[in-house]
Amino acid sequence: MSIQYWRIRDRYYRLIGSRCAECGAEFFPPLYRCRKCGSESIKDKEMPRTGKIMTYTHLHEPLPGFEAQAPLYLAVVKLDNGAKVLTQIVDSPDEAVKTGARVRATIRRALVDGDSGQIVYGFKFVVVN
Amino acid sequence: MHLMQSKNRAAILGYGAYVPYYRLPTTEIARVWKGGGSGPNIEKAVAGVDEDTVTMAIEAARQAVKMSGVESLGAVFVGTESKPYAVKPTSTIVAQALGQHHTLAADLEFACKAGTEAMQVITGLVGSGMIEAGLAIGMDTAQGRPGDDLEYTAASGGAAYVLGKMGKKAVAMIDCSTSFVSDTGDFWRRAHQRYPRHLSRFTGEPAYFYHIENSVNTLFKETGHKPSDFRYAVFHQPNPRFPVEVATRLGFTMEQIKTGLLNPLIGNTYAGSSPIGLAAVLDEAKPGDKILLASFGSGAGSDAFCIEVLDGITRTKGTNTTVRSMMERSTKIDYSTYSKFRDKLGK
Repeated sequence: MSIQYWRIRDRYYRLIGSRCAECGAEFFPPLYRCRKCGSESIKDKEMPRTGKIMTYTHLHEPLPGFEAQAPLYLAVVKLDNGAKVLTQIVDSPDEAVKTGARVRATIRRALVDGDSGQIVYGFKFVVVN
Repeated sequence: MHLMQSKNRAAILGYGAYVPYYRLPTTEIARVWKGGGSGPNIEKAVAGVDEDTVTMAIEAARQAVKMSGVESLGAVFVGTESKPYAVKPTSTIVAQALGQHHTLAADLEFACKAGTEAMQVITGLVGSGMIEAGLAIGMDTAQGRPGDDLEYTAASGGAAYVLGKMGKKAVAMIDCSTSFVSDTGDFWRRAHQRYPRHLSRFTGEPAYFYHIENSVNTLFKETGHKPSDFRYAVFHQPNPRFPVEVATRLGFTMEQIKTGLLNPLIGNTYAGSSPIGLAAVLDEAKPGDKILLASFGSGAGSDAFCIEVLDGITRTKGTNTTVRSMMERSTKIDYSTYSKFRDKLGK
């Protein structure tokens, strides 16, 4: 696990994003200034764990480190609070992965650093039957 | 007296299970290694390429914590023999994912009974007043050497339990338990070895049956309970035959064990085996039902529990995905896909 990843592990384990204390807008990933009203009064907020697929692609030639997971679905999911998440869709039959499909968050291995390095865990999503 | 019973009883406040999505029919294993036939079970549950004991433990724990309504856990114990790291706790990753930091955290290992052992330790911590509530998990991605008899049954899955003080939210009371252990070399995995070894038929009489019969008979003797007092019984399930045989020897009927008997469809989830059987029973149980739970861990030992279902069970209905519905949401894979998922190629 890189130190950079360790600093933001709650983002990947718990979907920790941001909520603007001024206007109530919520964002993922976290930010320091509200994208809606400009306020810097920002608090950590655990995002809802359900949402809908906005768009997706089926990758057969993923980036190095993800070969064992190929072919894989990569999607933009709109969470129930409106925040958007770039994520993998797993454990879902091909015919269920489509725009508008309801999904829920799960936690999975994201990257494995060879046989002796650390394992990076993070959120992925599953289509809800 | 050998009975373990806290003056202040602990209770299950919430529980959750996890069964992965993939199923390998045992006919596939037999096709590859024997040219046909099948194993003792129909299928086994297989973790996906990106799953391990950490991810599955977190999934089950999230359900258990949500059902319990508990905000602060004084202990997080993971019982498993398939830790992703030889050195680096599984339990701290689970605790981090749950947002729990002021907590004891440890991984327990006792082959297939590490999950119930975690339940006993947390029962003691709660019963003594040292903690308000704790999390006990039994979870495994069980290993079986390609072509070995174990490969037919070695499966992935398990369950998590939040145990805390008795109260209105209590789902079931941990009334008491017993443990029985001896130095028995029925099944083992040496340091740095990828797969376990076993002594085939020796895993039966001197191991599984001897230890379970001792733990359960001690519980009967010291509580005065008899098999007919229990609505349900759950035994460790290394294969479909052993739990039925030990139940019969102890005086239980098929009716009492069928709800928690999952091996034919998901295999042996090792430290998760008896805990997930208990979860399947709790999915159906009603207030007042008594449950006998008996684990078995090679090496060897057995923990037997007397559990009484309470009124709080009624609030849990519909809150979690049931074990049976997790078992139904599945897809079949072939031996090649299984080999890729469980990293067996060239190993």
